[in-house]
Amino acid sequence: MADYVFQKEKIEELLGGMAKNYEVHAPLLNAGIVRFGKVEEGGPALAKLDDYSNSSVPPKELLFPQTETLFRYRLGTGGIEPKVPDAGAKVAVFGIRPCDAQAFAIVDKLFGWDYPDPYFQNRRKSTVLIGLACSSPCSTCFCTSLGGGPTNDEYLDVAMYDLGNEIYLKTVTEKGDELCKSISDLLEEASPSHLEACQNQSKEAASKIRRSIDTNGIPEKLPALYDNPFWEQFSDRCLGCGICTYLCPTCHCFDIQDEVEVFDGRRARMWDTCMFEEYTRHASGHNPRPTRKERTRNRVSHKYSYFPTNFGVIACVGCGRCIKYCPVNIDIIDILEKSIAVEVKEAG
Amino acid sequence: MVDQGELRQKAKEVISREDVRRLIGWKRGTYGFEAAPAVIKDPSEADELVFDPTCVQNPASFVTLEEKPPLPRGVEPDLRKVGVFAKGCDSRALIQQMVEQAYERDHIVVIGIPCRGVIDHRKAEKLFGDVTPDLVEISGDKVVIEIGGEKREVAREDVLMAKCLRCRYPNPLISDVLVGGEVEKFADDDFSDVDEFEKKSPAEKWEFWEKEFSKCIRCYSCRNVCPMCYCPECVVTRLKPQWTRRSVDLSENTSYHIERSWHLAGRCIECMECERVCPMDIPIMTLNRKLTRDVKELFSYEPGTDVEASPLLTSYNPQDPEEYIM
Ligand code: SF4
Ligand code: SF4
Ligand code: SF4
Ligand code: SF4
Repeated sequence: MADYVFQKEKIEELLGGMAKNYEVHAPLLNAGIVRFGKVEEGGPALAKLDDYSNSSVPPKELLFPQTETLFRYRLGTGGIEPKVPDAGAKVAVFGIRPCDAQAFAIVDKLFGWDYPDPYFQNRRKSTVLIGLACSSPCSTCFCTSLGGGPTNDEYLDVAMYDLGNEIYLKTVTEKGDELCKSISDLLEEASPSHLEACQNQSKEAASKIRRSIDTNGIPEKLPALYDNPFWEQFSDRCLGCGICTYLCPTCHCFDIQDEVEVFDGRRARMWDTCMFEEYTRHASGHNPRPTRKERTRNRVSHKYSYFPTNFGVIACVGCGRCIKYCPVNIDIIDILEKSIAVEVKEAG
Repeated sequence: MVDQGELRQKAKEVISREDVRRLIGWKRGTYGFEAAPAVIKDPSEADELVFDPTCVQNPASFVTLEEKPPLPRGVEPDLRKVGVFAKGCDSRALIQQMVEQAYERDHIVVIGIPCRGVIDHRKAEKLFGDVTPDLVEISGDKVVIEIGGEKREVAREDVLMAKCLRCRYPNPLISDVLVGGEVEKFADDDFSDVDEFEKKSPAEKWEFWEKEFSKCIRCYSCRNVCPMCYCPECVVTRLKPQWTRRSVDLSENTSYHIERSWHLAGRCIECMECERVCPMDIPIMTLNRKLTRDVKELFSYEPGTDVEASPLLTSYNPQDPEEYIM
């Protein structure tokens, strides 16, 4: 694998070069919010690389959009028009953080499970991830507790380091190599001093992570708290909103609805969340998760117990968004720490 | 500065009462510039409670947010009272909830807490970064913030919520118990923010809202946190019939925001919780403020200021202006 550098001021030129062969997505600044989107002329401006630590909405929306047409149908003309994305398309995601890339590897398991989901999987196949190492993590980040880290390149195709005036670039996979070759005329060779600067940045960034959780024993402990009043100390103040799940890079629940016009319509899926009351409401009106207590329990247990039981990995990458954006300070690290401390009486 | 000992003592007295089953206040958050709402059920928990300018959340929201699932046969519902802390603006929410008969006056025990302003975490983070202060207090016309042992004084405008800078009701309008002494009104509300926005042309306004509404992810946090949004089933998420689609796009998002702001006309008490919680920084108050002013100017009505008042939309005065209808 190869390494390169380019001048930071030439980012737009670089993305322009990439756009010749790829559809380029990058963090954009839209009315004060940083969010990934397609780089287009006349569209929102590119966010500066030091404008964001984590984008407000995780880039999961590129592979799993909040609202997505599955197929369209029209009366009389017979048949349906599927909207499955093309697996052969070439999409480059520029500036994704290591934790958000790690989340893709977690969600892969779900979308490739009993029903391989062509919508997600085709996009995933066609996407090259050009990651950006974090140099100043948020106060809510705890990626190092979940097998990641601010400079982890394990789930990336290309890893970038912001070295001030220059960006250092290292290819990790063949897909990444191919992309870099396609823009090689815009890249310069890296020197050993660049590599050294990156290694220093790695050490420094990891030492800036302020929060952590020891996940040992948590997947086993949470089911024992199923009926425990433990959850109320958090759920009593929970608003039951969509923030912590919609903004979580590993949350993947969706609803499917038909949107019918007079002669045509579409079947679409849209993000759903276990924090909403109607998520588990039956047609009869009965709701097996009648209060936010059961919903809070489900969110945390799904991530830290059910998902690891089914797929062998915790469905959290420690990006901290659920902590940062919860308006009532429901802090998943706090919940997990307290869950370990509760004593559970043996049944019987 | 409110005496935390007095606050906890009074809270303890309220939660110890036989006829009170829970008490809503604030406790320290785990990080950052905001406290966490606290719902306590036992006198031993009263020592967690605090009050300072980080206590932004409106406790009135949690009175109506509480869910009452169907009880097993033979189990009687616990109908005892709810204790609730209230700053000036929070007390207006409680009053408006009672005006709308969400519950009766004797359902709640109000611990009033005169307030000199609360922190806007967006402003504070812009000034101080992603840090957790050791201390935040208001001293004279300054806000004192201590971070890492270092004290800094800043002007109120720089860190307090916009509502506090125009607050006419810093003292709770109702209370059964009062913590601390009354404070002086900070300023009058001249609606200059609304005037400013109204200078835009219709095209500019539309361009503004198009940008803002297209950011909305419809997490409904703004609705859920609102002390006046307590309908058992919201028209926006109703499934049978479905008035607003679940798809998230400019059209459905606009529909959501117009529905919500109209449903709050003459009801919004301007606690700013909706705007505070929005993860997409959508200036929801810009809509609410316009309706607040219209309601005030057209009908001389100010919601949440009088427990004996009738809701605006159920009261009729032959002198009401009718230009809109005629
Ligand atoms: S659970 Fe929270 S910290 Fe973990 S990945 Fe999701 S949003 Fe990030
Ligand atoms: S935990 Fe916080 S973000 Fe999540 S649903 Fe509850 S209030 Fe909303
Ligand atoms: S809180 Fe913000 S993003 Fe969420 S529904 Fe309200 S306006 Fe939309
Ligand atoms: S609309 Fe906003 S400001 Fe008005 S009462 Fe509701 S949360 Fe408070």
